[in-house]
Amino acid sequence: MNAPTSDPALRRAVVLGAVVFAVVAPAVLSNYLRSLAADALISGMIVLSLVVLTGLVGQISFCQYSFAALGAFTVGSLVAGHHWSFWMALIVGTAFAAAGGVLVGIPALRLSGLFLAILTVAVALFFDRFLLAPGTWNAFSGGVEPWRPARPSIAGISLDGSYAFYLFVLAVFLLTSLLVWNLRRGKVGRVLRAIRGSELAAATVGLDLTAWKLAAFGVSAGLAGLAGGLSAVAVGSVSAGSYDFLHSVSVAAVAIVMGVGTVASAAAGGLFLAFGPWLLQHTPLSTQYFNLIVGGLLVLQLVFTPQGLVAHNEQLVLAWRARILARRRAADVSAPPDDLDRPPATDELVTSTEASA
Amino acid sequence: MALLEVEHVSVRFGGVQALDDVSLTLNRGEILGLIGPNGAGKTTLFNCLSGVQRPTSGRVRFEGRSVDGLKPNRRARLGLARTFQNLQLFSDLTVLENLMVPVDAFSPRGLVADGLRLPRARIEERRADERARAVLHFLGIGSLATTPAGGLPVGLQRRVELGRALCLRPKLLLLDEPAAGLDAGETAGLAALLSRVRERFSTSMLLVDHDMALVMRACEHIYVLDYGRVIASGAPSVVRDDSRVVQAYLGRGAA
Amino acid sequence: MLAIAGTSLLPGFTVIGLVLGGVYALAAIGLVLIFRVSGVLNFAHGAVAMFATFVAYQISVVNGAPGWAGLLVAIAAGAVVGLLVEVLTMRPLAGKPALTKVVVTIGWLLVLQTLAGILWGANAYHRPVQLVSRAGFRFPGTHVVVGYDQLTTVLVALGLALATAAVLRYTTIGTAMRAVADDPAAARLWGINVNRVTAASWMAGSAMAAVAGVLITPLINFDTFSLTVVVIDAFTAALIGRLTSLPWTVVGAMFLGLAQTYPRAFSSQSGLGELVTFGLVLVVLAVLFRPGGRRIRLV
Repeated sequence: MNAPTSDPALRRAVVLGAVVFAVVAPAVLSNYLRSLAADALISGMIVLSLVVLTGLVGQISFCQYSFAALGAFTVGSLVAGHHWSFWMALIVGTAFAAAGGVLVGIPALRLSGLFLAILTVAVALFFDRFLLAPGTWNAFSGGVEPWRPARPSIAGISLDGSYAFYLFVLAVFLLTSLLVWNLRRGKVGRVLRAIRGSELAAATVGLDLTAWKLAAFGVSAGLAGLAGGLSAVAVGSVSAGSYDFLHSVSVAAVAIVMGVGTVASAAAGGLFLAFGPWLLQHTPLSTQYFNLIVGGLLVLQLVFTPQGLVAHNEQLVLAWRARILARRRAADVSAPPDDLDRPPATDELVTSTEASA
Repeated sequence: MALLEVEHVSVRFGGVQALDDVSLTLNRGEILGLIGPNGAGKTTLFNCLSGVQRPTSGRVRFEGRSVDGLKPNRRARLGLARTFQNLQLFSDLTVLENLMVPVDAFSPRGLVADGLRLPRARIEERRADERARAVLHFLGIGSLATTPAGGLPVGLQRRVELGRALCLRPKLLLLDEPAAGLDAGETAGLAALLSRVRERFSTSMLLVDHDMALVMRACEHIYVLDYGRVIASGAPSVVRDDSRVVQAYLGRGAA
Repeated sequence: MLAIAGTSLLPGFTVIGLVLGGVYALAAIGLVLIFRVSGVLNFAHGAVAMFATFVAYQISVVNGAPGWAGLLVAIAAGAVVGLLVEVLTMRPLAGKPALTKVVVTIGWLLVLQTLAGILWGANAYHRPVQLVSRAGFRFPGTHVVVGYDQLTTVLVALGLALATAAVLRYTTIGTAMRAVADDPAAARLWGINVNRVTAASWMAGSAMAAVAGVLITPLINFDTFSLTVVVIDAFTAALIGRLTSLPWTVVGAMFLGLAQTYPRAFSSQSGLGELVTFGLVLVVLAVLFRPGGRRIRLV
């Protein structure tokens, strides 16, 4: 199971096509839709952070937006409050979020998935109601007035324009996706899957479980923090309501619906999260219905297609392509070993735990 | 100098004395046998050696150096590898990947090298792949490289576990019932395989098994555990004729 | 000055804390019941409570029916939602890892939360269902005034806790529930209808959530979100009882209620309750859920 798709040529073509589309298409969109597209990429990075945490470590988290808030409020506070350069603030914010992830990861070393899930809910509510509430730490949360960090410029090109900013976010999204892709298919992915398979065996072949798990938590939270830092300047203001528990829950739901076993689901999840509510405005329903649909999809998905939609469709495409090839060269074609490259089902991803206590 | 010295190791679980003042010595290059009825404490001793279980008292020295308090991964780095009685393969991974993981554990490449696909990551990846394939080939299961490990029959899973342990380049290999679940033919092949492993990898072994024939054939020296205590030790012929050993086995009908 | 003013408030805050704790206990008992029998940690427990409470609101406040009628309909609504969750989604997932089922309950949380927002308005202020008069009496020998509604809440909570324990211990269905909790396979061999018992536990647990929701609304912001996240307080109390022991769950709930309330006597900082909950969750997970920790049985 080195790669989620068994055909590198097909994959390369699809990815290249998608990137070209992602660069070109927003050129013809309205400013509003471009900013929505940038939001999609930022949400996509948060889904990506779950591809690392849930897909590789097998832990579910309901506080990814709290890590994003660490990035966002660090950028807001440093840029708007202390006049730092955006880039330094973004680095500090990402590091801060990664450190937060490691801290949350420490209890996770000894807890099974269920209890970690409870812990992440507590973390999210702690952020919502205490840490980011006006009056607790105004130098960080900005008090009642939200921080308003300005967008930066790269090499003299201002990112104030919606297309320039979109392209910048796209570049960051693609780079982080590539990073996660590389991690997944290299040693890191193998080691983390091994640890998920048997912690006992992993330790006795020389793996430091603590270091690896904490590293994965750090990377995941760091990605969320980076996304948060970008969202601070995407929106132009930082307020706690954009990073609350329900956002974390719905991003976790979308990640699982799309399938945390593939990097592609980050793009799909991001698009869904940003454009889903917008599409709903053009139907008799309103944006309010979005989370209803997400929740409903999550329930249906887990009951019917446990691998996630992206992986599921990918398999359909592969199976369809294999059939065509087989028909063309009817003679000595053996079916591709698709179960070899089958992404694991969600319930294989999440570590099972004993219900008995 | 002895490779492994176990000195007065005891383990208590609540009211159960799992190991009681066990001492043994394993010399470099030796295949040492450890036998005993079910529940005699063999696996507990293995857990103490590999660092999974902390002894209540006693010391373990490896290459003359105390390993007490070292975590399993640190012991693995010193050259202690083990297999498991109840198989512990990484079932999501392919056979090849299972064998690459121990090589990974020793390579210096981490998040940065992997994430950015630095040249070092590629070199290390190829090195791990080659080492794993070499061991697979040696064990005669090279054709299984891309098969998911979880679905293999027990005999092959045991062989993959052996391969995974060998990929650590161990100085000492702890084998916990390698013949369990094998048929007579496979068991006979195993004894020959183990002596080839010793030559090729110049490793010592501590072998636990129920199969007396295997242990008698493979080992020069045998320790017998019963109720957590060493009740006899010596050459296979001596142990076989020891009345206490016979009683321990026959008395409980667990030969 | 501030400290003196603070301490003088403590007796009154004790009453508030115990009332809050009573409601948490009620919610947590339902949670523990469902967890023990079906092995599912129900993250939607608060959402079920919220939804049922809004049903009561619809009946009693909007349509003007008496409070008790609203409560009864809410209990029925809670039981029906619990039954739907079990039959539609938990039963098909039998044998799947516990975390998969937890994620399904998260889906239900989103569904119920959003649905209530659509039906009744997500952020609007709602007038809570008042079951008992807000009048009160002076607690003998002190200056503390205890409301009849507050007294009712504590009594109902303790009464339902005791009733649950009694049902589990002395009735056939209770015995069946304990058997299923211990070992579903063995229970099946004994001729127990495991599906029916599991469904009953979901209905009973969710009905308790409904009562808790109706009772808690006068104490907190009555909106969709605040009630949904009461689940974390219920979890905290249940964790103190190791998700198994009812008496310890009640103790934990009372402790949590007091610990969330007392700091408010000294500081008007918002979110202190969540800070306390967060701290308690950390401590409880660290102390009680060590691998190989001692186990406590249900009842």
